[in-house]
Amino acid sequence: MRVVIVEDQALLREGIVALLRENGVEVVGQAEDAPGLIRLVNGHKPDMAIVDVRLPPTFTDEGIKAAIEVREEHPGLGILILSQYVEPVYTSELLAGGGGGIGYLLKERVADIPAFLDAINRVAEGGTALDREVVAELVQGRKQDSSLDELTPKESEVLSLMAEGKTNAGIAEALVVTSGAVEKHISAIFSKLNLPTGGADHRRVLAVLQYLQFSD
Amino acid sequence: MMPAEVRQAWRADQDSVLAAHTAVSAGLGFLVTLIWGLTGAGTFWPAWVWFGLAIPLAVNFSWWYSRQFEERRRWLALHLALTGVASLALCLIWAMGSGGSFWPGIPIVCLLGLVAVHLLLSENWGRLRTGQEKVLTERVDELTRSRLGTLEAQAAQLRQVERDLHDGAQSRLVALSMHLARAEAMLDDQPEAKKLVSEAKAEAGEAIVELRDLARGIAPPVLADRGLAEAAKSLGTRNSGGVTVESSLTRRPPPIVETGAYFVIAESLTNANKHAPGAPVTVTLGDGDGQLNLVIRDEGPGGADPKGNGLTGLRHRIEALDGRIGINSPKGEGTTIRVDLPCE
Repeated sequence: MRVVIVEDQALLREGIVALLRENGVEVVGQAEDAPGLIRLVNGHKPDMAIVDVRLPPTFTDEGIKAAIEVREEHPGLGILILSQYVEPVYTSELLAGGGGGIGYLLKERVADIPAFLDAINRVAEGGTALDREVVAELVQGRKQDSSLDELTPKESEVLSLMAEGKTNAGIAEALVVTSGAVEKHISAIFSKLNLPTGGADHRRVLAVLQYLQFSD
Repeated sequence: MMPAEVRQAWRADQDSVLAAHTAVSAGLGFLVTLIWGLTGAGTFWPAWVWFGLAIPLAVNFSWWYSRQFEERRRWLALHLALTGVASLALCLIWAMGSGGSFWPGIPIVCLLGLVAVHLLLSENWGRLRTGQEKVLTERVDELTRSRLGTLEAQAAQLRQVERDLHDGAQSRLVALSMHLARAEAMLDDQPEAKKLVSEAKAEAGEAIVELRDLARGIAPPVLADRGLAEAAKSLGTRNSGGVTVESSLTRRPPPIVETGAYFVIAESLTNANKHAPGAPVTVTLGDGDGQLNLVIRDEGPGGADPKGNGLTGLRHRIEALDGRIGINSPKGEGTTIRVDLPCE
């Protein structure tokens, strides 16, 4: 897997590069601003880009804008946004494209190395990796949803993990249950929320996200 | 202050009273003159009757005359008219009496002196008071400006603190926990050291969460990055009934007003979610006349208590910015909160 990193803070950037290299991920380029991202992607054609939200010169939301822009040119490119905070408006913008290969994680998640690597793999393969805080925000916005009330506590947990982008195997591992049990929960969730069943893992995740974000 | 129509009627009354008084006096004067003529026209004594009739008439006229002036000058006019009446009376008494040296001179000069003192005092008093008012107005302007300046500086500093927390301390903690994670992965053969490192990593993680909450309490990044409308949308994602944001803002308000407005919206939406769960909410943002106008309307059950905790907190926040709040919450008709915040 070939990865580029755009992060203005050298300490953090070099740390992430070292961490990825130790774990067999090939880092083909580093930059510290938005034009750097576009240059790296055009030059190296990586599988995915890891991008900080706040970049020079204004340190606001350059990272999000640059990521959305570069995705229009390179639809297959996976984008993993790293941020110091969760912002629902940015989540919506990233997911609005509808395509796969999107991740939005809080920066401190890099300290959980296996989970971080798992997220990188999912995004590079066209999947989704949303921070659990992002998912919590989405679920909170639908708290009064009567369909969500029908879910059992276990099913709610499975829904959240699914919204984060985890695969069945990942969910089974997180909840310490068999993948058969996970599948059963998932089909119960889909029938309770009235969502179309079937399709690959990733399409299923998008259906869940679509539901959490927009449906009435 | 009397209403205009009452004042006018009263003035008409004054006119007719004076006219009646004049007519009666003239009638009486004519009557005594007639009697004097019929009784043989001796010494012309009716002059004294005329004099007696003229004094109250002159006083009445003086009063009427003074009413013709604007309020500020009325007492001075009355004083002047009465002084005129008294001086004339003294002159007449002198003329009708034995004559001789002009003794009314000194009293008349004294009376005119009093009028002069009155005039001087009233003029200077006015100037004195206008001067004070001017000084006070300038002072209030200056304080309003400097207060806004101080608040502005404070808001800018707080945003800088927020930025520094995110990009400084928090980033270093993230880097620290990442290094600890790498160290942890290399310590598989030393379980005790691995446990210590793992605990240190967890501590760093908690510090990061605390810092993030702290920074968010100061001002959320989306407000600084995107402005009030986007920040309101972001807040709206937490409301179960759905929040529509309509913005006709023509420019960004100063940071202090923007942050104030943000927390007003945040508290209003929290209130709506608490008291009107599931009800749709509309947030309308506009500006004009140097003000930022917010309207937060929910379709909930209404009947909000303006003295309740939520609304009192809101009121204090708005008063601190010299703004105004209006709450309309009839039972069964939802709640509308209107807020105007000055931007200049």
